[in-house]
Amino acid sequence: MALGTQRRTELLRGVLDLCLLAVMDEGPAYGYEMTKRLRDRGLAIVGEGSIYPLLGRLERDGLVETYRAASNGGPPRKYYRPSSAGRLALALGVSEWRAARDAVDTVLATVKVEVVS
Amino acid sequence: MSDFVEQCRREWRRLDVPDPLADEMAADLASDLGEAEAEGVSAEELLGSSAFDPRSFAASWAAERGIIPVPPRRANARRRPLVLVAFTAVAAIALIVAALLLLTGEPRVSVVASRTTPPHLLSPPPAFFGPPGASRQVLVQTSASTPVEWILLLLAIVALGFAAWLWSRWGRSRPPSVAA
Repeated sequence: MALGTQRRTELLRGVLDLCLLAVMDEGPAYGYEMTKRLRDRGLAIVGEGSIYPLLGRLERDGLVETYRAASNGGPPRKYYRPSSAGRLALALGVSEWRAARDAVDTVLATVKVEVVS
Repeated sequence: MSDFVEQCRREWRRLDVPDPLADEMAADLASDLGEAEAEGVSAEELLGSSAFDPRSFAASWAAERGIIPVPPRRANARRRPLVLVAFTAVAAIALIVAALLLLTGEPRVSVVASRTTPPHLLSPPPAFFGPPGASRQVLVQTSASTPVEWILLLLAIVALGFAAWLWSRWGRSRPPSVAA
């Protein structure tokens, strides 16, 4: 795995659960639908694993509610949406993420980047 | 049902995942894989490197859902390499020793058996063997194709192959990840 890709993977590993809660908070979604929503925002699954074990963990922890319904003419799918605990976890997680991001931005703001072509 | 989903089913069956839950996960996975394929999205894009390791993927999914216990990966991750390194080293040393024994040319390994011969079987008893019924040593000199060296070589090769298989299985599964 390239160094840049590996760094992005490591950075996002800790917030993928927040990303999933965020995209399903826009509207209930099944697994592949969430993958598409992430991809539309520039996040693609790479490296090890997938979203399915993570969805399983969110379900086990009571952060999502699920129900089965027919998709657009297709077979019944399992839809996910945040529970009240999930919405609270999302709000807290977003707050933590923004605080960490701002702190890192402050540190890195002094770095002058020169791009040599 | 795709081969990937079928392999997941087998793993869930092996892990004693209840059939209704296995059916549910298999159906969801098959539907998602089918929709992705129809849109030109590969299984690797949907599942990451898990697309090449259905057993770990299935076990990880079931464990994260709380259906089966989460395996103590970190403890194993530290202990297993030490055991594997030792096993691999012993196998490699055995291979080198066997090869050296075979390359020396002269048979150097003999099989020595000790037995007591009943008196009526010693006919005529050689004088230098001593009195009938006494314990004596029978020396069996091996031929040029000494079996002991070949057996050691064969065992070392098999052990090294097994070690390679163990190394390939070690440290496969990790938490999910994404990248921009």
